[in-house]
Amino acid sequence: MGAAVIVGASHAGVQAALSLRQSGWQDEIVLFSAETDHPYHRPPLSKAFLAGEKDAGQILLRSPDLYRDQQIDLRLGEPVEAIDRAGRFVTSKSGRQPYSTLLLATGSRARRLAAPGADLDGVFTLRSLRDSRAIKDALAAAGSVVIVGGGFIGLEVASTSAKLGRKTTVLEALPTLLSRALPPAVGDFLRSYHEGKGVRFRFGAQVAGFEGEGGRLRAVRLADGSTIAADMALVGIGGEADLDLAKDLGLRLSAGGIEVDAHGRTSAEGIYAMGDVAGFQNAFAPASMRLESVQNAVDQAKAAAAHICGGDAGLTAVPWFWTDQYDLKVQMAGIGRPGAVEILRGDPSTGAFTLLQLVDGRLIAAHSVNRAADHMMARRLIAERVPIDVAAAADAATPLAKAVLAEATTSRMATAGP
Amino acid sequence: MSESVTIIFEKRDGERIEVAARTGASVMETAVVNNVAGIEAECGGSCICATCHVYCDHVADGVLDEMSPIEDDMLDLAAAERRPSSRLSCQIRVGPALDRAVFVIPEAQF
Repeated sequence: MGAAVIVGASHAGVQAALSLRQSGWQDEIVLFSAETDHPYHRPPLSKAFLAGEKDAGQILLRSPDLYRDQQIDLRLGEPVEAIDRAGRFVTSKSGRQPYSTLLLATGSRARRLAAPGADLDGVFTLRSLRDSRAIKDALAAAGSVVIVGGGFIGLEVASTSAKLGRKTTVLEALPTLLSRALPPAVGDFLRSYHEGKGVRFRFGAQVAGFEGEGGRLRAVRLADGSTIAADMALVGIGGEADLDLAKDLGLRLSAGGIEVDAHGRTSAEGIYAMGDVAGFQNAFAPASMRLESVQNAVDQAKAAAAHICGGDAGLTAVPWFWTDQYDLKVQMAGIGRPGAVEILRGDPSTGAFTLLQLVDGRLIAAHSVNRAADHMMARRLIAERVPIDVAAAADAATPLAKAVLAEATTSRMATAGP
Repeated sequence: MSESVTIIFEKRDGERIEVAARTGASVMETAVVNNVAGIEAECGGSCICATCHVYCDHVADGVLDEMSPIEDDMLDLAAAERRPSSRLSCQIRVGPALDRAVFVIPEAQF
């Protein structure tokens, strides 16, 4: 055999290491992390950690002792510098580390804005715990905050900023929020909710540059010539796969990531990829895509570890995501697509509703606001691809489980389960 | 008031694991930090995934925080059977009243 080397120790890399052990991997496991912090949950970085509701000790993925107990050689602060595919070794500051199997879990990084002044103090992107600490400090001292990008990270930071009483403005280049990820009805609901909390929005806004004084941000200048005063700006315009190491390996790419199959296999024998860096044709997605989510990272890592240890069960999970903003719990199951039939369950003005999307009479996606039961049931119904009774599904008082067409009930009961 | 209390997790086979818990942390965080198997907590404590389900039969009445409607909904669809004593451990905060409380781990979280 020989060592399993995992590059990247976030949700995907850590899960891969633990699952390899659980699946019976006997040999060395070396887990490289460029970061010096013990592996941690990323979602709280824009929410509970940023708001001061949780400290770094409360967002650890696992106990630091666990890696030792499981004989996982966690190398913190030790980025992999190069990969030699022919020689089957990686190079870090400790020298060469041979591998029999290589797992690439390098994740994604925040896209940066190519605008003048983007390097001023007070202009941030958010990806790591280190970023979040810096933003937290800046938020504490800021009067005015500008968020560039009305996506998930931007809106989560906006909600934290507004809760702290900062004057908060969100700039969005498109006419609606989250238009790539969510149907307009959900984006419009979130916009109204944020506005009710005092957040201002500028749609169709293009950032021309950041203006500073003595190296510190003072204002954000828009393409229309207007400026918005800002002590702090967060650029949340999406992520891109971190392919720095992989790009010279000759691996096939897909959807901007490393192409993998349901077992996490790349185009090269003995090399797997998982998490944000992987491009994959999920069985419930209309096309190959990179899914930047905890669920996808964990499930892809489990599937890869199982395959490495001789198992055959590939990834079949329905993708799901969530975002917390204020007291709203927004949960998304499946991958929505334009042109799907939309069914609204519940009244958005009450602050709790689910927007279902159907294709060919079957549920393909559900976007829930404060309707957790709908979300959990939708994950099952999407997985089972059962025909949906539209009238029952539109009645928020009827449990979603009862919105399955009668002739499908028998098979659903047979296949439903934990 | 001590900074730390003892929390007990009971595995399915009846084995009990005693761990030190920091007051203010959640029961889920206590389990994760102490490597208690069977508490998955995939979402990290956002009340989103229902994989930190526990049974609280051995916990005294009135010492647990109230259940939110969202936790209630999530528990309906947890992988293991829901019982009257079911809770999501990410929603239970550790305080002095929980000293030596026993939380039973269900047979499945997925």
